[in-house]
Amino acid sequence: MNENYLFRLSPRQRLMTHAVLLVLAVPYILPLIWMLSTSLKSDLQIFPREGSSLSPVSLANLIPRPVQWRNYPDALKTVPFSLYLQNTLLLCLLNVAGAVASSAIVAYGFARIRFRGREPLFLLLLATMALPGQVTMIPTFALFTKLGWYGTFLPLIVPAFFGNAFFIFLMRQFFMTLPEELAEAARIEGAGEWDIFWRIVLPLSKPVLATCALFQFLGSWNDFFGPLLYLNDPSRYTLAYGLQQFLSSYGGKYAQLMAATTLFTLPVILLFFLAQKTFIQGIATTGSKG
Amino acid sequence: MQSNRIGYAFISPWLAGFCIFTIFPFVASIYLSFCRYDIISPPVWVGFANYDELFRNDPRFWKALWNTIYYALAAVPLGIVTAFALALFLNLEVRGMSVYRTVFFLPSIVPAVASTMIFMWILNPQIGLINSLLRKVGIEGPAWLNDSHWAMHSLILMSLWGVGGAVITYLAGLKDIPVSLYEAAVVDGAGPWARTRHVTIPMMTPVIFFNLIMGIIGAFQTFTQAFIMTNGGPEDSTLFYALYLFYRAWRYLDMGYASAMAWVLFLLVTVVTALVFRTHRKWVHYGG
Amino acid sequence: MADRRYTALRRAAIVLLNLLLVGTFILIFALPSPAQRAYPKRIPVRFWHMWSGEWKDVVDRIVQRFNDSQEKYEVVALSVPGGSADYKFLLSVAGGDPPDCMAQWNQVIPAWADEQMLVPLDSLMTPQEWQDFQATAYPVALKIGCYKGRLYGVTTGINIWACYYRPDHLRAAGLDPDKFPTDLDELWEWGQQLTRTDESGAITRMGFLPGWYSQYLPVFGGSLYDAQSGQVTINTPANLRALAWLAGKQKELGYEKVVRFQSMLNTGGFATQWPFISGQYSIALEGQWRVEQLAKFAPDLEYRTAPIPPPKGGKAHAGWSNGNFMIIPKGARQTQGAWEFIKFWSGVDKPERAAEFYTWGGWLPLSSKIAQAPVYQDYLRKYPQFQTFLDVLPSENIEVSPPVPFQVFLADMTGRADDFAMRGTKTPQQALEDLEREVAQEIAKRKRFGL
Repeated sequence: MNENYLFRLSPRQRLMTHAVLLVLAVPYILPLIWMLSTSLKSDLQIFPREGSSLSPVSLANLIPRPVQWRNYPDALKTVPFSLYLQNTLLLCLLNVAGAVASSAIVAYGFARIRFRGREPLFLLLLATMALPGQVTMIPTFALFTKLGWYGTFLPLIVPAFFGNAFFIFLMRQFFMTLPEELAEAARIEGAGEWDIFWRIVLPLSKPVLATCALFQFLGSWNDFFGPLLYLNDPSRYTLAYGLQQFLSSYGGKYAQLMAATTLFTLPVILLFFLAQKTFIQGIATTGSKG
Repeated sequence: MQSNRIGYAFISPWLAGFCIFTIFPFVASIYLSFCRYDIISPPVWVGFANYDELFRNDPRFWKALWNTIYYALAAVPLGIVTAFALALFLNLEVRGMSVYRTVFFLPSIVPAVASTMIFMWILNPQIGLINSLLRKVGIEGPAWLNDSHWAMHSLILMSLWGVGGAVITYLAGLKDIPVSLYEAAVVDGAGPWARTRHVTIPMMTPVIFFNLIMGIIGAFQTFTQAFIMTNGGPEDSTLFYALYLFYRAWRYLDMGYASAMAWVLFLLVTVVTALVFRTHRKWVHYGG
Repeated sequence: MADRRYTALRRAAIVLLNLLLVGTFILIFALPSPAQRAYPKRIPVRFWHMWSGEWKDVVDRIVQRFNDSQEKYEVVALSVPGGSADYKFLLSVAGGDPPDCMAQWNQVIPAWADEQMLVPLDSLMTPQEWQDFQATAYPVALKIGCYKGRLYGVTTGINIWACYYRPDHLRAAGLDPDKFPTDLDELWEWGQQLTRTDESGAITRMGFLPGWYSQYLPVFGGSLYDAQSGQVTINTPANLRALAWLAGKQKELGYEKVVRFQSMLNTGGFATQWPFISGQYSIALEGQWRVEQLAKFAPDLEYRTAPIPPPKGGKAHAGWSNGNFMIIPKGARQTQGAWEFIKFWSGVDKPERAAEFYTWGGWLPLSSKIAQAPVYQDYLRKYPQFQTFLDVLPSENIEVSPPVPFQVFLADMTGRADDFAMRGTKTPQQALEDLEREVAQEIAKRKRFGL
């Protein structure tokens, strides 16, 4: 892209970048390597027995001996994996679609349209994030129960379609950085706000939209509390819930727990890795800016 | 005016949601803070008694408040600086960057259940990674999460592990900076550091602002790590506000008191947020 | 060039995303239908519990037996993760849709009973049945399950703690396994002889580690509760002696060293890799369920059990106890069905039949009638080490968490005081005084709020 000539680094600079990043990456990846390695160990290797050396965290000990592959199938057997996966995917995809779409619409309103009460309402929006969920839990629960939604997926899906304060805030920030001229030009030609939103602002906002989609996906994927509270039917539970069950299966089966966690995390890692470009890539029309 | 109508039309999804899902619990929790409410029996009005007890007779409340403020003061700026610096690096056009980006984002993906366990292992006084490494250099590391002087700092350090999300927002923002600005800066003779200071940072202030607010709100609501790892210990050194609130609400069945605590926190966070908001015109730049 | 690759990738991503979206809507229709019930024509009785793993299998077997034994009800069991089960339960009661019964092992029965959240189970019995129940149930079962004279929880398994010890370690240290100490200080001496350290002074094997205030309080003759007055008693001489003894021993061992040693171990309460098995504890204070576990996972390990020896002036066969108790929340739809299930499992009406269930989980029974059933006696013969727990079970010296409405608060604060004293941050005297003050404050606050 056009930026290359500005940001091209000399070979020495490139080397330094790699060096710095590698050093910084170590504390970020080591715990996960440890998680992976633990997932392949037998419980005997995880906890040192009497008489063994007191430092089982030497680099040599990162290698499972023997490599216990069966931790993975064992972990899969403990919870109905494919069932939970189905439920989780359903919740994730619906939430992503709902949250991103509704938040974008609302964010545009806050960012680009001047209306009376905009500032106070926006502050109110921020304020709703500040109240600890613990105390709104009971009234919220009571509300859903009165609506007859207890035991169904609905409390876990419907609220997403009404905008998510976090995303609205983020998107608003982004929308506000877009230059006015584009919108002005369209308005002169008689386009309505919705047209501007749909045809100009949205296409330019792919990075932030994709970011929010990723966050929502992650949030729904990891959410075990919602299913715990509102679902009573085991055939509706999610992967995150299954993982939680694992943890409180106080058998101390750490190896299997790590295996389950690895399996649980893998799809999201893949998703992120593949979709990176989509939300990190900048705006294609760099020429028209400024 | 017409723009009023259009404006409200656009924000109607959120407004509707607010009215249906948010208002009732919000108002209910205010009401509950003036009541004695044990979850099962109907609430009983007690006026300001909860607040009175809270401020006058509860040393743990102050301890929890102080712990949380301390954590916020340390973790939020640290998090912003770390995430921003990382994003700058990860924005460079070097081969393999997508791998690096994934690596730094990975910890945010791992569910709290597992990441806290992993960290408990890393910080294990005897066989943990950190202390084993320190031992190799001849230092006997502290008992980290088991030591009342180190537990809070361990948690602050742990928070850096989760900057991946913020990094993503910065990355998305960095790509949004028009190249023309950089071009102009180069023409003016600015080197890379100057460019960063005069172009990158100012243009990134909207995202920084976002992360600052979210960081504050999040820091004040820290709960999961303390709940799973330390239970407020040792010796109340990691008794976070949200954790103490949880205990009061769900263990001691004192939901009225907990609601009062929640509203105190809410007011505090709102005031801080409003202050940041008030100053934001001075340092946040929108638009091209 | 890079551009072309990017466009191709982008196209692929868009296609993928669209597929996913379409897939979602298909999924909605392919959703798994709610779990089919085995006996859809019967009245469902919803039962929540916190067991998982192999324990869940035991519970499922018992549920199956109940369902097979009658035609009217079907118990539908739900396993809820332990850490959040109370949360879910409270919410469901508040929301008006609670389960019909729950197996609870946290110290919450008096607190919840005080909230009027639980159905008094004696109201489901005839007066004769209630009298019989009170006469035959072990004292500790009544202590935990009753509140203000009414019964709110029926036990399906009491937990008792006693010393497990390894004769091989003892013999190697020149100690006689047949003459297990009858005095606490002697036990401490033995522990010292069995403890091993390495060159750097770090502990590699713990002979005997005293800890956990609640367990030792009764052993010293102390108590947190005075049944006569119904008051909580904290700063008493016996309580202080217990705490001081524990704190003193921690100091001798070195608190830091102990922490480091323990952090190396797999100390999950029900962990199968119990440090006792791997030889890092020679004498350990543990619950009776370990017997079943040892039989399953370490059948070749030689071990014996003995009650905690009291110090001079202390009480024999003392300790702290909790257990699994079945409760029925107010608002349950199938109170009668739940009660039938509870009777079935706990053996209130048919002790011989229920005795078998107790053996499946290595649980201590509700009443002596169950203990004397042939099935249970066989179990005892098979695992002689289990007898120790049965010996301690009828003792009047067993303490439970004080049956006061604020017992959870009390338990938390007591644990906190214990911690302060063990770390040496506060002297035992100071810790108890502060605890007393904090509890008094809480009581005053409750009074102020009309509780």
